Amino acid sequence: MKKLRRVVITGLGVIAPNGNGREDFWRACLAGKSGIRRITRFDAAFLPTRIAGEVDTFPAREFGLNKDEIELLDRGTQFVLAATNLALRDGGLLDPTGRLLPTIERDSCGVAIGTAMGPVEEGERLWRLFTAEGTQPPRYPAGGVQLARLLLSSMPATAIAAHHQLHGPSTVIATGCSAGADAIGQAFWSIQEGRASRMLAGGCDSSINPSSINVFSIMRALSTNNDEPERASRPYDARRDGFVMSEGAGVLLLEERELALARGATLYAELLAFVSNNNAYHMTALPADGAPLQELLRQALAEAGIEGRELGYINSHGSSTPFNEAAETVAYKAVFGEDAYRIPISATKSMIGHSQGAASAIEALVTALALHHQVLPPTINQEQPDPQCDLDYVPNVARPASFQLALTHSSGFGGVNTALVLARPEYREGRALEVQR
Amino acid sequence: MSEPGERRVVVTGMGVVAPNGLGKENFWRACLNGVSGIKPLRRFSVENLPISVAGEVTDFQAEDYLDRKFIQRTDRVTHFACVAVAEALRDARLDLAREDPQRVGAVLANTLGGIEYVIEQIKALYTQGPRAMSAYTAIAWLQVANVGQVALRYGLRGYSKTPVSDTVGGLEAMSVAAGAIRRGAVDVMLSGGSEALLHPFFLLVFGHSGLSAPGHDPRAYRPFDRRAAGLLLAEGAGICVLEEYEHARRREAPIYGEILGVGQTSDARLPLPPSSDGTYYARAMRQALEDAHLEPEAIDYFHLDGRAEPAADLAEADALRQVFGARLPELPVSVPRTMLGHSYAAAGALDTITALLALHHRQIPPTLNCEQPDPRYGLDLVCERARPFAGSTALIGGRGLSGSNIVLAVRGGEG
Repeated sequence: MKKLRRVVITGLGVIAPNGNGREDFWRACLAGKSGIRRITRFDAAFLPTRIAGEVDTFPAREFGLNKDEIELLDRGTQFVLAATNLALRDGGLLDPTGRLLPTIERDSCGVAIGTAMGPVEEGERLWRLFTAEGTQPPRYPAGGVQLARLLLSSMPATAIAAHHQLHGPSTVIATGCSAGADAIGQAFWSIQEGRASRMLAGGCDSSINPSSINVFSIMRALSTNNDEPERASRPYDARRDGFVMSEGAGVLLLEERELALARGATLYAELLAFVSNNNAYHMTALPADGAPLQELLRQALAEAGIEGRELGYINSHGSSTPFNEAAETVAYKAVFGEDAYRIPISATKSMIGHSQGAASAIEALVTALALHHQVLPPTINQEQPDPQCDLDYVPNVARPASFQLALTHSSGFGGVNTALVLARPEYREGRALEVQR
Repeated sequence: MSEPGERRVVVTGMGVVAPNGLGKENFWRACLNGVSGIKPLRRFSVENLPISVAGEVTDFQAEDYLDRKFIQRTDRVTHFACVAVAEALRDARLDLAREDPQRVGAVLANTLGGIEYVIEQIKALYTQGPRAMSAYTAIAWLQVANVGQVALRYGLRGYSKTPVSDTVGGLEAMSVAAGAIRRGAVDVMLSGGSEALLHPFFLLVFGHSGLSAPGHDPRAYRPFDRRAAGLLLAEGAGICVLEEYEHARRREAPIYGEILGVGQTSDARLPLPPSSDGTYYARAMRQALEDAHLEPEAIDYFHLDGRAEPAADLAEADALRQVFGARLPELPVSVPRTMLGHSYAAAGALDTITALLALHHRQIPPTLNCEQPDPRYGLDLVCERARPFAGSTALIGGRGLSGSNIVLAVRGGEG
């Protein structure tokens, strides 16, 4: 194996139900603001779950999308293109007109995006149109219709590559709830191994449509707390009753460290490790002892070369499902021992719900911001403690903290579990000095 | 990849579900004999559809391999994947009970997920109400279903991913899986793709989108021919067991060949119309060669993408010319996929299997339907009949609909 290069996070872009763009989103997270509301994208009266985290303001043009992109791209892809532009702007790589600076080498810049659902809202719309709501065999409508986007699972990455003329590796990964973190991980490896110098990596999804909501309702995976939308997503709380579907996108600008330093970029954090495994237990759940998560956390520590007690923050999967958080808590205790009670843990999904393929990317972005600002965002809706979940979940109120290392992890469909370890940009230099002493 | 201390990746098993043959042996025999699996569709009525011929897997009965409960809770795309995985594991003589489950993973590409299953359930939702939907819908539908079910069936707890890069997904799976083995994340990977996209609704979408030719002629898939007018669709699965070389040697596994290098670039343009510029595809070829520590002269065979649209074929020939220069007319090239149709995410995996078998058996399977090869491409296309050859090293090229170019460099045998 060649010597691995170091990778830093230098730009952040986000589209989320409680705020678009790094600054608004972070302010909302620190204020504990929920983005969960009654569904407005369709009439959900006939469904048992009628709440979701919708992105209610999305001025695509202001985010640099052109007319063709607004017309042709599905909503999730528009989100991720917008989040990319925000991340590039944040990272100082765009000129005032929104174009990539001419000094940026495009051949070694790639894209990796995770999505769990793809253009499903569009697929459902076309199916209804072709079959008259399922009452006839499919027929092509007489007036014609725009179709190609439905077949291009690679579109979220392609749209970004095409918009900015990026010729590096371009990929889309669909590993359910871990997809965004998996895309970040793959991108991280690409830079480490020298196959790219910069990567735009993250996740997106927009699947607030009847069939996407109902496939999870019928599994009893969704909260039915329709009367109190903002209080429906409550990871670790005793009254949690399922996740809340949401939509959005999160994109990280990853750069080879020397390249970022040379251009004087702001380093939010360094990526230390990416690990991923499979439950081989159940298509949608962790076992009660969280064993695969235990394995994952141990691998993450080993890969990053750190001790569990060094972790100053965990941004958890915390989906607000009864089983998940109990299993997570067991796994933390098994891996970190007594330290489990000292490591603050918070679940971003308490505020923005579960945006599927976007979720784990947005959580990586939150983790980077927590390290950068030295503030821990809260887990909101902590009202009635669950005796099975007795750790420090940063209840309801953000708090300052002084820490160098953080971990974020996700679990989900297909049994895929993924973790990323992030450090303050100066962490490794500090440790090297300590070793010398 | 062969530098001292680097981990090498070999292919030790193969499983195939293809329109012209179920199982690796049948598939290979059909490929050598130029037997096409593209026929009139039989599983449903094609009345009013713009596409009536495709590479349909017709002699496949899921009940022959899988239990009833599993079949009812999963889609055809997962049935294909599971059957191909089972064959690949047998073929590799891999006893998973003797492996550390955390060191074995799966990278299975897919494009559309379990569409037959989910469309039935969406119909139930709209015609009978929310409670009529099966509780297994999400599990059967999402693209991650294949990886999840395979991991569950075989107790694989290692690195698992689901590339969804449409027509190039299968090759990308090989790239991702080989990459994970090289860097030491796992020792063994089930890698490939599965696709079951032949459904009336999606045939309407394909037929009217400009992404595949309206098809009523089973011989219409003819890349590099004067009459080329697009590709025909197919379904199926291809799975390889990828393994770290020392691990394979220790257990005395059969070795079909080695994945020597990978290249990946993007044209960075929206899909339609296809571009005739092969610059970034050529770049992916050079990356694969460099990764494999090979010069272009070392390549004995090029397994083409063969999209069969004049602009796309021009781009492929252009890329080859950029890399192989004056030697191009002497380099044998072929599109054996003309015998199957394009099965999207399964295609790159079946291409990898075909190319490795070609090196292993020293026979290049033919490109069918190319009775009027267009001389402007300047290619030595192996047409109509398999051609014996003595080479050991090949490149496999694949192009995503939206401009992702992936190239694998492979060597046959123990190397």
